[in-house]
Amino acid sequence: MDRLQAPEENYANPKTCFFHVLFKAAALAFYILSALFVDNFVIIFVLTVFLAALDFWVVKNVSGRILVGLRWWNEINDQGESIWKFECLDQESLSRMNKKDSWLFWWTLYLTAAAWILLAIFSLIRFQADYLLVVGVCLTLSIANIIGFTKCRKDAKKQIQQFAQQTIASRVSSTIQSAFSVV
Amino acid sequence: MSHSDTIPLHPSSQSDIDEIENLINASVQSGPATVLPARPPSPPRASIPISSSPFIASNLPPPTYQKPPTAPGPTTPAVIPVSDSRPSPPDPLDSVWDTVKRDLSRIVSNLKLVVFPNPNREDPGKALRDWDLWGPFFFIIFLGLTLSWSASVKKSEVFAVAFAVLAAGAIILTLNVLLLGGHIIFFQSLSLLGYCLFPLDVGPLSLIVVTITLVWSSWAAYPFMSAAVGPRRKALALYPVFLMYVSVGFLIIAI
Repeated sequence: MDRLQAPEENYANPKTCFFHVLFKAAALAFYILSALFVDNFVIIFVLTVFLAALDFWVVKNVSGRILVGLRWWNEINDQGESIWKFECLDQESLSRMNKKDSWLFWWTLYLTAAAWILLAIFSLIRFQADYLLVVGVCLTLSIANIIGFTKCRKDAKKQIQQFAQQTIASRVSSTIQSAFSVV
Repeated sequence: MSHSDTIPLHPSSQSDIDEIENLINASVQSGPATVLPARPPSPPRASIPISSSPFIASNLPPPTYQKPPTAPGPTTPAVIPVSDSRPSPPDPLDSVWDTVKRDLSRIVSNLKLVVFPNPNREDPGKALRDWDLWGPFFFIIFLGLTLSWSASVKKSEVFAVAFAVLAAGAIILTLNVLLLGGHIIFFQSLSLLGYCLFPLDVGPLSLIVVTITLVWSSWAAYPFMSAAVGPRRKALALYPVFLMYVSVGFLIIAI
């Protein structure tokens, strides 16, 4: 792994990484611990969902941009159609992104979603519909971010291909032109 | 997204994107000016060419974008923003605050457009162009909290029921419009129905006031919903909306 071979490559954005993980962990921890200690469902619901919403916002608006250089949003154009936009930084900046940052970003996204799925299964087994509601909301938020950023990444890969093709095409054509100009 | 995508952006979306652009510029351009052991010194780019989108090229108003592109080459100290004097990594907190302010102002403007009388109601499609779900989220939570707090028994159940009914109700109503052959965008409609909950949130809990506020909510939702479907199906689309607000009103009164 990177950790062994690149001792100088630390997290480039420690604060952002911290916040990226903070709200996810807080939501999960609060949900799990409060089920043991707190009796009031309303407080559990509101706080857990609030933390999950904060996490969604942080990931989408802050850590997505800073850690992996991706962003996505929805627009409605003049014709009234809904367009989803998925964007990434250009290839040079993308390749300069810190590997640890992006590793952390993606893994915590996936792990959080997996944790919520696990909790959903638990509440299903116990027939607790109201807790299932909480978990459902948090899971929806996690999955929304995963889908959004995965689409950004696919778009990024498509662009690499397009860019490569264009570069090859332009090089080929300029080579042919220079060949003809010589002759 | 293809390179030929040249759909002009809505002005308020453009300003959002301007802001995001500036934030990305700030976070990348401050790289070389600060001592970051982790990151290899990145040549300060004049702009972040976000390659899939056309707006860099053509659509944004020039003044905003003169700033980065006019920066000549690798060393552009004139263009590097605030954080050049700081020895630490660029502080994202400033930009975070900007983003928060932007989102909050969007909530307020959406609320004003939807709930209060204003000239834009004739063109409903334009009004909720910048839909967001934060407003509805807060309103639903607030309504659930109010109901739960004032309920004498079964507080948790009341909250869960209120939340589930409102959330599921909004989704089902939207599906109803879509299935009636209407032209409405899913999230826009969810956003609309959530914002129309606002009157019910703020009205104090007496019968008359609740009646007034639910009529206000329905009236607020009416132009958007009716514009979405054909004339013969308007009642089919609007009746469930009215029904939902009436049932929320009953929830408020009865509990």
